[in-house]
Amino acid sequence: MAGDNGLLSALAMNPAVILTVGAVLGAFVPNGFAAIRRPLMLVFVAMSAFQLQRLGLGEYGALSIFGEPVTMLRIDPLSRIFAVVFHIAAALNLIYAWRSRDRAQDFATLAYPAAALGGVLAGDLVTLFVWWELAAMTSAFFVLGPGTRATFLAAMRYLTIQILSGVLLLAGIVLVYRETGSLAFGEIGLRDGAGAIKMSGLVMLLAFGIKAAFPLLHNWVQDSYPKADFAGTIVLSVFTTKLAVASLARAFPGTGELVYIGAVMTIFPIFFALIENDLKKVLCYSINNQIGFMVIGIGFGTAASMNGAVGYAFTNIIFESLLFMAVGAAIYRTGTSKATELGGLYRTMPVTMVFCIIGAMSISAFPGFAGFVTKGLIIDAAGEAHAFWIWLVLLFASAGVLEHAGIKIPYFTFFAHDSARRPKEAPPAMLIAMGISAFLCIAIGVYPEPLYALMPYPEALADYHPYAPYHVVEQLQLLLWAVLAFAVLILIKWYPAEVPSANLDTDWFYRVPGRDLFIWAVAAVRAIWRLVWRLASTRFMRAMDRIYAVHGPEGAMARSWPTGFMALATAVVLGLALFIAFIS
Amino acid sequence: MNILAQLPVIPIILPLVTAPLAMLMPSEKMGGRAPFVFATFVVWAVFAACAGLLHSVATTGPISYHLGDWAPPIGIEYRIDLANALVLTLVSGIAALVFPFSYESIRSEIDRRQISYFYAALLICMTGLLGVTITGDAFNVFVFLEISSLSTYALVAMGADKDRRALTASFNYLVMGTIGATFFVIGLGLLYQATGTLNMADLKIQLAGDKNRMVEAGFAFIVVGMGLKAAMFPMHLWMPNAYAYAPSAVSAFIAATSTKVAVYVIIRFIYTVIGADFSFAPAAFAWLIAPLAIAGMFFASGVAIFQDDVKRMLAYSSVGQIGYMLFGVSFGTEPGLAASLVHLFNHGLMKGALFMAAACVMLRVGSHNCSAYAGLARRMPFTAGAFIVSGLSLIGVPLTVGFISKWQLLAAAFDSGRAWAGFLIVASSFLAVIYVGRVIELMVLKPAPADAPEIKEAPLSMLVPMLILVAANVYFGLHTELTVDLSERAAHALMGAGR
Repeated sequence: MAGDNGLLSALAMNPAVILTVGAVLGAFVPNGFAAIRRPLMLVFVAMSAFQLQRLGLGEYGALSIFGEPVTMLRIDPLSRIFAVVFHIAAALNLIYAWRSRDRAQDFATLAYPAAALGGVLAGDLVTLFVWWELAAMTSAFFVLGPGTRATFLAAMRYLTIQILSGVLLLAGIVLVYRETGSLAFGEIGLRDGAGAIKMSGLVMLLAFGIKAAFPLLHNWVQDSYPKADFAGTIVLSVFTTKLAVASLARAFPGTGELVYIGAVMTIFPIFFALIENDLKKVLCYSINNQIGFMVIGIGFGTAASMNGAVGYAFTNIIFESLLFMAVGAAIYRTGTSKATELGGLYRTMPVTMVFCIIGAMSISAFPGFAGFVTKGLIIDAAGEAHAFWIWLVLLFASAGVLEHAGIKIPYFTFFAHDSARRPKEAPPAMLIAMGISAFLCIAIGVYPEPLYALMPYPEALADYHPYAPYHVVEQLQLLLWAVLAFAVLILIKWYPAEVPSANLDTDWFYRVPGRDLFIWAVAAVRAIWRLVWRLASTRFMRAMDRIYAVHGPEGAMARSWPTGFMALATAVVLGLALFIAFIS
Repeated sequence: MNILAQLPVIPIILPLVTAPLAMLMPSEKMGGRAPFVFATFVVWAVFAACAGLLHSVATTGPISYHLGDWAPPIGIEYRIDLANALVLTLVSGIAALVFPFSYESIRSEIDRRQISYFYAALLICMTGLLGVTITGDAFNVFVFLEISSLSTYALVAMGADKDRRALTASFNYLVMGTIGATFFVIGLGLLYQATGTLNMADLKIQLAGDKNRMVEAGFAFIVVGMGLKAAMFPMHLWMPNAYAYAPSAVSAFIAATSTKVAVYVIIRFIYTVIGADFSFAPAAFAWLIAPLAIAGMFFASGVAIFQDDVKRMLAYSSVGQIGYMLFGVSFGTEPGLAASLVHLFNHGLMKGALFMAAACVMLRVGSHNCSAYAGLARRMPFTAGAFIVSGLSLIGVPLTVGFISKWQLLAAAFDSGRAWAGFLIVASSFLAVIYVGRVIELMVLKPAPADAPEIKEAPLSMLVPMLILVAANVYFGLHTELTVDLSERAAHALMGAGR
């Protein structure tokens, strides 16, 4: 074990620990003073950001645990960009639900970003694992938040999946350690030198893949995120998946399989999103789709595409949150997130509507907004790799994003049919949070250089000009045709109508036939166990009786023997000892 | 004369001289406070001296002190190295907590007229244990052993005021202890016959390379005699009754110290006197100490599970724990020896705290039967808490000293290529889970009997020492610098001397 001073100072200097301390302190603020909770937490976010800035690039908190060197804090360009945006998101989340008075959720609003931040900054696998599990546990507070039976069950399902990911990560760590003899968190790769798939890489990829919501591993997102309340969903949407993206970027850059996984991820959610009625769920599908772009960028693994993946994660956090916040504001005022029950809110919530459209234009990558300056990097990388089909998929997916996130969200919330609801404009705190996000969306879109400077490979961006005519024209063509398609579909009423229905996703397979299979298996195991138990229990009881007869209070072992017997025992031992002495 | 140069003799001479003074003080005036306060201050001074010795040995190396300035091997030498400095600190530290702890407990458990005798005897008992540990002279070990044993017989017998069975327990202990001491002195006689010296270091020199039946027989006698004192299975039969019926404070003191001192003597004779390369040692490790240690770990723990009497349960648990220490020694490797020394120290901490908790229950509820512990978590929360934490330590739960012990033992087992030994250690720990868990379940989950009278928490004079010891259980579970590092260095020095 390491010296304790080393451990303490390593902890004290870690921004993630600072945030965690803030969360714990905030949780101890009594309910009577709940109003100071979020301001206090915001101070800690500022302290943590200051500490991050003060430390600068480098590795800190080097310790040794059981003789293995670990690095609790590594700030390199890759982790720094995630750390910066996590701080922004944490602050925005705190501001957004400024008037929240829920102790558990207030705690999680800071503790969960802290855990994600710790994971991103982890320089070794053990530290990563600890924060990984903390992120799983703290985030469950949000799913549990509303406190109904449905959310409780969803939270249990959510935790099961998250812990499964943690267990896989632990197994992966053991395998990696056996392979490399080191706990350092660096590139792992899926294949070894000879091109065969490594067990360690596969397990790690699966662990990260669950958190990144890879196709078929994604259902937990749609299951749990919408169950949280309007503010909780926003916090959830940011961190878990982005922590996974950061880990993928660290461990699997240039892993070709990721390109195909990412391609599937960008496509399939679009269809579900188009027919989904619950706008929160639409946005959750949009998370999958957006992560897909990042995964493709990581899969190409070139300097430019890594920049694209990481930069897209940065901007995505901001505009995805903005969309969630706008929909959240509508939910806050109307109490519903169903497209069938919303509509026409632009009359009374014009400011929210404007912010929502800014978010929508960003996610659709309109020139001049944040999505444009980063998504182009990924699409270009596909072009440069001459991956024609992937390039096509990306274009199609971009159009799809516009349909479901860029148009559907604002359209059905604020326009479409008039729901006759006339809610008040969103409260000031929400407007401030949304305003900051919207400002960032535009600022980054217009002036991307500071973001480019933060990227892991700034040198690869030297001759990249997002506003080169070629880029702008290509993107505008794409967008305008997509808008046209939407308009036509609406006009001829082919666009999937707002229908209050539950859509089946692939989780049907494990929630219906899978569940039956599971119940059958449980019954079978129980029957076998009963049989074995009946056979074994009589023997076991007989054995226990025998043990009790010897060891019980009246047994030979426990009786108060007369002195003579004790002396005899001693003599026997002495005889044994002498015998051993003589034969040895 | 420099007082610091005389530091090694203070832990012996001070209590030995002051014990008669304590005896002369009035037992009945002022509720016997005079001998109590006096003895407590003496013990604290002794503890300070022992801690000073440990510090000095740890920084500047072994100390050799010549009594009366007679040079060894003729004169008696006190020789303090890390191994015995650690044991000295344990014994005097436990004493420094048990003495202030004892007052309330003793007043309710023994004849009030005996209070001054009690403190005199307890001081002498401690003197004997410290003397056994500190001395570098083999015969001196026997002398101090008898000093501590005789006073212990008297102390155990004082429990007769509450329970007459203390008399037979004490008598059995006397007979068995005498047999053990006799074996020990026979062994010494044989060694003396072979070498003509009694100084440990000198014995070692004289015995070097000597393969001699007489020496082997002598060594067998010494190990068996000391094994009896250490309550090595199956020579432990005197111990459960002695611990159960002695006054509670006495149980706490001797359970935490006297068997540990005996284990220390075994280690000292194996490594410093006879040398690990002496052909008897490996054979004894493999065929005598290891099997009996394992038998103790399982059989005694098995008995502990079914005991109705918590003090007897703890006593049987001690037999099992002695098994762990001897098992570690029997590996014959440096990590094994270090693990034994760590466990020796740590077990003193946990058993001391557990018996103190039992003493608090005895004071307030008036019984050490399991039934007295029902619902205790609500009736005496601090005592129950102390029992739970030190009980978890006994099991070996992380963040407590027990975990450090078990960890070191396991590491030593695997290090010496005995994976099966690691398995046995873990398996027997499960027995500890059962017997400790049983009492914890009683305290936490079972309600107190309906007709149970209202009771107060134990008095502050008992709570504070007990909680200090519990805190030590946690502290040394987190900060292993003192125990593990010193034990490793001590083991290294002992093994180095054995080579």
